[in-house]
Amino acid sequence: MKDIENRLKQEAKRLLESGEAEVVLAYGRGYDEKHPMPYAAKAVSDVDNIVFDEYCTFNMTRYLTEYPLGTKIAIAVKSCDSRTLIVLMQEEKVKREDIVILGIPYRDMIDSKTGKAIDNSTACNLPNPVLYDILLGDEVTERDDGSPYDVLKELEEMELDVRWEFWSKEFSKCIRCYACRKACPMCYCDPCFIDQSQPRWADKSPSLESNLMFHLTRFYHLAGRCIDCGECSRACPVDIPLHLFHKKVSKECEEMFDQVSGMSLDDKQVMVDFKMEDSDEILL
Amino acid sequence: MEFEPKILGIACNWCTYTGADLAGTTRVQYPHNVRVARVMCSSRVNPAFIFRAFQLGSDGVLIGGCEPGDCHYSTGNYYARRRLAITKKILEFAGLEPERFRVEWISASDGIKFAEVVKEFTEEIRALGPQTKFKVKKDIET
Amino acid sequence: MSRIGVFVCHCGMNIAKTVRIDDVVEFAGELPGVVVAEGYKFMCSTPGQELIQEKIKECNLDGVIVAACSPLMHEKTFRKVAEGAGLNQYLLTIVNIREQCSWVIEDEDEATSKAKALINGAVYRTHLLAPLESRFIDVNPEAMVVGGGIAGIQAALELAATGKKVYLVEKSPTIGGHMAQFDKTFPTLDCSACILTPKMDAVLQNPNIDLMTSCEVTEVKGFVGNFDVTVKQKARYVDHDKCNGCLSCMEKCPGRGLSEFDEGLDKRKSIYIPFPQAVPQKPVIDRETCIYFKKGKCRVCEQVCEQDAIDFEQEDTYRDITVGAIIAATGYGLMDTTPLVQYGYGKYPGVYNALEVERLFNSTGPTEGKVVMKDGKEPESIAILHCIGSRDTNYHEYCSRVCCMYALKFAHLFKEKTSADVYQLYIDMRCFGKGYEEFYNRLLEENVKFVRGKAARVTDVTVSPDEEGKLIVEVEDTLSSQFMRLPVDMVVLSPAMEAQADAGEVARTFNIGVDKDNFFREKHPKLDPLSTTTDGVFLAGACQGPKDIPDTVAQAIGAAAEALTIVGKEQLELEAATVYVDPYVCCGCQNCVRVCTYSAPSFDVEKNVSEINEALCKGCGLCAASCPTGAIIARHFTNDQFIGEMEGLMEF
Repeated sequence: MKDIENRLKQEAKRLLESGEAEVVLAYGRGYDEKHPMPYAAKAVSDVDNIVFDEYCTFNMTRYLTEYPLGTKIAIAVKSCDSRTLIVLMQEEKVKREDIVILGIPYRDMIDSKTGKAIDNSTACNLPNPVLYDILLGDEVTERDDGSPYDVLKELEEMELDVRWEFWSKEFSKCIRCYACRKACPMCYCDPCFIDQSQPRWADKSPSLESNLMFHLTRFYHLAGRCIDCGECSRACPVDIPLHLFHKKVSKECEEMFDQVSGMSLDDKQVMVDFKMEDSDEILL
Repeated sequence: MEFEPKILGIACNWCTYTGADLAGTTRVQYPHNVRVARVMCSSRVNPAFIFRAFQLGSDGVLIGGCEPGDCHYSTGNYYARRRLAITKKILEFAGLEPERFRVEWISASDGIKFAEVVKEFTEEIRALGPQTKFKVKKDIET
Repeated sequence: MSRIGVFVCHCGMNIAKTVRIDDVVEFAGELPGVVVAEGYKFMCSTPGQELIQEKIKECNLDGVIVAACSPLMHEKTFRKVAEGAGLNQYLLTIVNIREQCSWVIEDEDEATSKAKALINGAVYRTHLLAPLESRFIDVNPEAMVVGGGIAGIQAALELAATGKKVYLVEKSPTIGGHMAQFDKTFPTLDCSACILTPKMDAVLQNPNIDLMTSCEVTEVKGFVGNFDVTVKQKARYVDHDKCNGCLSCMEKCPGRGLSEFDEGLDKRKSIYIPFPQAVPQKPVIDRETCIYFKKGKCRVCEQVCEQDAIDFEQEDTYRDITVGAIIAATGYGLMDTTPLVQYGYGKYPGVYNALEVERLFNSTGPTEGKVVMKDGKEPESIAILHCIGSRDTNYHEYCSRVCCMYALKFAHLFKEKTSADVYQLYIDMRCFGKGYEEFYNRLLEENVKFVRGKAARVTDVTVSPDEEGKLIVEVEDTLSSQFMRLPVDMVVLSPAMEAQADAGEVARTFNIGVDKDNFFREKHPKLDPLSTTTDGVFLAGACQGPKDIPDTVAQAIGAAAEALTIVGKEQLELEAATVYVDPYVCCGCQNCVRVCTYSAPSFDVEKNVSEINEALCKGCGLCAASCPTGAIIARHFTNDQFIGEMEGLMEF
């Protein structure tokens, strides 16, 4: 862990010094050890503030779209985070040549909110980044954790009405703080559909109905794009397990369209693509 | 009073809407429950429309497009197929009966199919009863 | 919109029979923003139109709803009405209370309440409508006709006669199509060649016609007024610019292939023109049978050609052509009857199909017009079997329309050329055209034996000495309910005319529809029979369904007139319902750019927003549905208009 932090600092320093990167997106100290913060190092003198430990769960790619296209950025990514990069590159929101990817080979981060290790029930938790320029350590060995969709079993087996009970209870809790949207690296729309007035898709104030409209539409907007980093759920102040819904949508996309999001730069988003031979059975 | 389903139909201009017209011209009778809104192409249907339709109190939503390969805009219905498929999965996972959402390819020459689909769908929705899960209890101002 | 007028049409009794008009008018009159609601017997008639225009002016309406028949029927009519009264035509909404309501619902209460709900949806929608400006595009004045049979020939000649440039594209090496194969045409017994070949020559001579044989359309882009068509010129291995048509190559060629023109009953050279009257009179090399292409040695044609026109290195080439309108006249295929094993086609040499028989009668055919069978003998008895593969739910449900008549023609010609007994095995005689019934009556006098029944089987298994050496046709005579065995020498099958094998593919190329039998689909069977769902693409001849020569020619002339309504104009009005981008809302995701078939959206990297080239936009709305922020606004089908309509439809 300390090795990774050191390598991260080393590379950040080198990249900033050489001008290969104008900014390094990594992690910095927070108000205590368990709460590091997203951190953007813009000068060599900032590098000392960089940290890495098991609480550095943030998907830093979320900040990439805040910079103008063409900004040279170095970014620290873990497994799921690197998949985000691939999606953003597919969507041409960032360019491969502008980004130096500092891959972090580390899994089982700790969610500071629960104190529990993040496994593939709350995130994709692949052992290594899918795409990187520099790997800050040795590759982590594969391990059989089962499918990241195993966690859905219980919900999938529920009676429809029970599942509706479950979700309507969860969505009723939503206070529409939009932390999920803020944490999501794919939610770069400005303005978000829900903030518009023509048409007004739903009430601005929280209610089951308006919350439902927001969340279901957001799940759809993330279909085939979500890379299962789990940031939405970790960001949620009222603990709605949003990642479960996202996982379900991802699972369906994979089954129907035979493509896993954020695994290959050559893929096209499934919702802006089609195959003539897509089966009509997917509509049943 | 017996439950009369209110069903929203969304039909593409070139195939399904024309097919529905043909059902009319040939006087094929079908239940009154489907109210059709016309779009130029099934690909115009934004999944958020579907969520909204259920919030507005639709007991069922029926979408009709051209047969794959026959889209007036050549590929619109291929996109629609993917999007509406995932929409259905989202509805189902949220706990809504997936049977309340149906997509059919109905060609301009298939008035009979249009009528058959409406008949079958209306009966299915009637059996399911009123849709109360998504329906907004009070009106949202738009 | 705050001043809406609702006009409810009775359509005689078509709507009023099940929809209580007064009730609907009263309901509509009370809806928010509706300032006037009126009913009228026929809203599309002159007094109906005047009523609407009067009210627009009198009540200062800013939105009009006409509840009547389908918008596909009269939207254009009522748009003109609105424009005529000074109201933007896009402030009109049609509510379909006929096709979607009165015609499909018997119960008065149900029909009336549905009509109300539909009108309510329209009121919600109309409140949100915006005036739109029509767009105009320049029209390319040239036209293309695809298919060089009689339909294509006629259409091309008609268009050329108006001074328009026409590209006539034919996939085979000659024009003429099936009609060139026929000997006589029913019911007049005109010599087919005598009426067709002058037209073929007229095509060749016409300076306005660019004749493109051995060519296929591979891609059609663009739209009515400006189609960009890619045509593949298949390699002919003969440079037609150099060739003077002396045909000495053909004389000397040692290679042989089966003659397509003679339905494989005879052979032709490997360098050939399909038949002596072919147009153009310039040969092509059939690569499959050419000795040089097969064995690498020969090139006799090259040696004898004084024009130096033989080019074994020739390759397929592609040509891009822009035209304003296209006529598809791609014809039909004759059903292959081999799979119908009960009739023994391909198994018994005595079983022929109709096109083969046409060639037997013809003086340029394999037998030089003598009716002799493959064994060289003249048949003593002949059975003509109707409805092979047509009117048969196992194959084609439709009636092939021409078979009864050509079967009569065959019978007449057999009688004329042989002394054979001729049987007609028919289900019904369908002789509907001008002079057709008379021709049938004439044949009844010509000692032809009519058996009402569909042949069940053709067999060579004999059961009595007088059947020996014959083909036995088993049939039930349904008039006498007797089972018959007819021993004959020759069996003629009348196979269904069916859609060309590649009709589906061709339809996709032209972006037009096909019906369940794969024939090209007309826009409206009665009122728009020559148009397709793609504006500017028209139909002529048997590609649209089985038909005879008179109907084909009439349709071709009609299609030419239709094409002229496009290429005769300098500009065309386009539907204004295109999309545009609200740059303040665009998030730069470029989904629109990725999904559009027409490349209408593009991305401005500097501004980080998408832009729409509205000249390319067809208004399908796919991009609008793909836009997560709602930055793409699909005019006339905006998110709020659509949601409004849904709300109105679902309110009651």
